[in-house]
Amino acid sequence: MADLDATYSSFAAAHGLEALSAYPAGSLTPLLVEAGNGQLSPAARGRIPGDVNGVVGHLAYTRNATFRFSVALTEIPGSTEFVPRLFCIRRGRRTRDDEFYGFEARHSKLWTESTKLNERYTVSTSPFQDPNWLRQMLSPAFIDWLASEPPEDFSFELAYGALLGSVEEDYPDATGIEALCRATAHVAERIRKECEE
Amino acid sequence: MQLNRTGIGLIAFFGLIGLGMVVAPIPGEAGWILKSIGVIWFLVAGGLYFFARGQKRKAAHQDWVFQNGIRGRATIVKAGSNATVNEMPLMKLTLDLDVPGQNPRQISKRQVMPVFAAMRMEPGIVLPVYVNPQDPDDLVLVW
Repeated sequence: MADLDATYSSFAAAHGLEALSAYPAGSLTPLLVEAGNGQLSPAARGRIPGDVNGVVGHLAYTRNATFRFSVALTEIPGSTEFVPRLFCIRRGRRTRDDEFYGFEARHSKLWTESTKLNERYTVSTSPFQDPNWLRQMLSPAFIDWLASEPPEDFSFELAYGALLGSVEEDYPDATGIEALCRATAHVAERIRKECEE
Repeated sequence: MQLNRTGIGLIAFFGLIGLGMVVAPIPGEAGWILKSIGVIWFLVAGGLYFFARGQKRKAAHQDWVFQNGIRGRATIVKAGSNATVNEMPLMKLTLDLDVPGQNPRQISKRQVMPVFAAMRMEPGIVLPVYVNPQDPDDLVLVW
């Protein structure tokens, strides 16, 4: 854990961020809810690489098994009106290994229009997401980028204006954290741009 | 609500094992006890099955409203929850509706949501909404 603190501390210093021993992100996205109170520890806050305001930190929780992630959190305030929820999760990622109930809220629909995207990710939205808007946002260039550029294991969750990029890592290095920040910032920029159009 | 893999497994388990108990050729009092339990299990499975069918029909109707409805905006005025269903909050939302061709109005809507969604339902959030052209009270909220 000392290594993790040192990594985030030096990352914060190198990028002009405020180093935090912990940051209570709250229950903003499904992954943060899985983690209970969404506590990032350690964390760094400020203008993260990729030039967006946000917080980057380490998220760990135990739910039968222990799960560890590096996460970058930023906001896209105007997005809820166009895309309340969009989850683009690396194929095969597990965030829990228990399921108790036979009925669940009908809360998501898989987006399967892009084979290239679906080879790497499971993409889901609200069952009533406007498909035309999503088609424009997931442009061929953006799909190419998502399929090839982000760090391995990268996933993102957009929920009601909060965007959480994440990679599964026990002990990340500065290069990995920076790549996560840049990928998250790129996704944020793409969604923001489409919302403005 | 919709049935998931666990639900399908539960219905199959209670239905098949219940049926097995009913038809098992066990004589005497033990046989009757087993048959009684089997009937209860089978009825539970049947109840879950019909509930799932009803939910599927409701989902199909919501899909129709989504595809054929008038798109508008719903602004959350008030949101709260006093109950949960399978650990998911049953939210009561008060919404200001702004739908083209209709007078602005306020409605209440109850919706079961996952925790992360329920916690984000705050006054001021604007969500898309689709309204049945033939029935202004029939609407789908995109949450």
